[in-house]
Amino acid sequence: MGIITTRNLNLYYGDKQAINNVSMEIEKNEITALIGPSGCGKSTFLRVLNRMNDIIPNCKTTGEVIFDNINIYSSKIDPMLIRKKIGMVFQKPNPFPLSIYDNIAYAPKYHGKKRAELDEIVESSLKAAALWDEVKDRLKKSAMSLSGGQQQRLCIARTIALNPEVILMDEATSALDPISTYKIEDLLATLKKTYTVVIVTHNMQQASRIADKTAFFLLGDLIEYDTTENIFTNPKNKQTLDYVSGHFG
Amino acid sequence: MDKNIYDKQIRPGVIAVRALIYTVTAAVVTLVVAIIVYLIIKGLPYINWELLSTAPSRLNETYGIAPMIINTLYIVLITLVVSIPLGIGTAIYLAEYSKPGKIISAFRFAIEILAGIPSIVYGLFGLAFFVNTLRIGSGSGSMLSGALTCALIVLPTMIRTTEEALLQVNPTYREAAFSLGASKLHIIRTILLPCALPGIVVAVILSIGRIVSESAALLYTAGVDYTMPTNFAKHIVEPGAGLTVQLYLYATEGGAPDWVPYAMAAILMILVFVINLTANIIAGLFKKKVSVK
Repeated sequence: MGIITTRNLNLYYGDKQAINNVSMEIEKNEITALIGPSGCGKSTFLRVLNRMNDIIPNCKTTGEVIFDNINIYSSKIDPMLIRKKIGMVFQKPNPFPLSIYDNIAYAPKYHGKKRAELDEIVESSLKAAALWDEVKDRLKKSAMSLSGGQQQRLCIARTIALNPEVILMDEATSALDPISTYKIEDLLATLKKTYTVVIVTHNMQQASRIADKTAFFLLGDLIEYDTTENIFTNPKNKQTLDYVSGHFG
Repeated sequence: MDKNIYDKQIRPGVIAVRALIYTVTAAVVTLVVAIIVYLIIKGLPYINWELLSTAPSRLNETYGIAPMIINTLYIVLITLVVSIPLGIGTAIYLAEYSKPGKIISAFRFAIEILAGIPSIVYGLFGLAFFVNTLRIGSGSGSMLSGALTCALIVLPTMIRTTEEALLQVNPTYREAAFSLGASKLHIIRTILLPCALPGIVVAVILSIGRIVSESAALLYTAGVDYTMPTNFAKHIVEPGAGLTVQLYLYATEGGAPDWVPYAMAAILMILVFVINLTANIIAGLFKKKVSVK
């Protein structure tokens, strides 16, 4: 069994169904890419995995998401503790308007880490996100003074600081320039040794470059889910073939 | 000379509109400056330590305003102590917790109505409720009754401005903090309130201005006593006229030479200026903690 398994997952925004009966297994220490045209439900599906959809009014989920042998949608689960284990990085870098240090220390401090441990966490997280050398002399400076690519790596470091098991990335490089994108892709290859990574991407080259498995979504359905190689070179479904060969989307 | 299509053209409409905008701006600025200069010329020469430090005495024919300054400060402070927690609390509820629906829209509508009610109506309510029904302090009004009435007056502004400030905070901060497993309350405390602080300070400044300039409501609820308060704590339940109320009384009922109201007006203006300046400095200090650049 994978680290996260969804079973018969459906999601509704009011009356509109956005995800149809998706059952999928995400493997530990792999990069899984979710691809598909805009509005296909891939971002929504990603947000299901750490209950980020909870904050959207009128959003209802049925089915199961099994993580660590528990259904995270069970009524006795505290979603805040789930999000601590399944972190998320967003499309646009969104550091807090605090210092670089405080951005990283924000979550560990909240979850009860002692002041003495924080320095260590900040350093190791920034190192893991390949940002330490660029910012070690200005940890007290505002995070807003960093470039877009640096801010996004800061957000990755902020997520890593909680020592999660899974990192979800919602088009995390689409607002960045090619060099920053390359740096983050490079980083992901290292991160997957420690963490499980799920990315949503519009960029099919990116999926084919870095993902181990790729899932193709269309109109809320999981059309095909296989190794990245199979999806891009030998898809079984006609719609997948059309999409990855650029016929639509 | 040949006429080129790229030659500069004279556009009378643009010139006229620009002239109009400049004129209107100049008129407004002139008006404001004129009022300030007029009050300063008429009032400032009479402001001296004796005026500021003594109580008025009909017997000695002195017109000190120390009790009024103290009363105004009492009312401002008590009003803020009451209205800031209530206003910010309500604003946080409206901006962060309330779910859109009939009750909430009715509530918002009520707040808007409250903001438009003339302050004399609040004064009447304060008199009936705080002074006569609850019997807070003296029967002719008290600092506390007056301040509670003022709190009602400034609450709508406080709530709306704070809510606006909270809603302006970049929504991605909320999302980011949620994704880190932080609770709503923690996000409000560590991110939203600090980011909204400049807006909240504006709300407080506007409220202070409103309280300092309030006279109608206080005439009913805080009394018209002009003796020097003797006990710091007891004065909360004692009556007393603030600067504006006393100014109103001097202007309508006489009892003092012409220069007294002007001196008081000048002092009111200086007081508002100093309060705004302090609030801005405080906001600046907080802003440094949540730096944008």
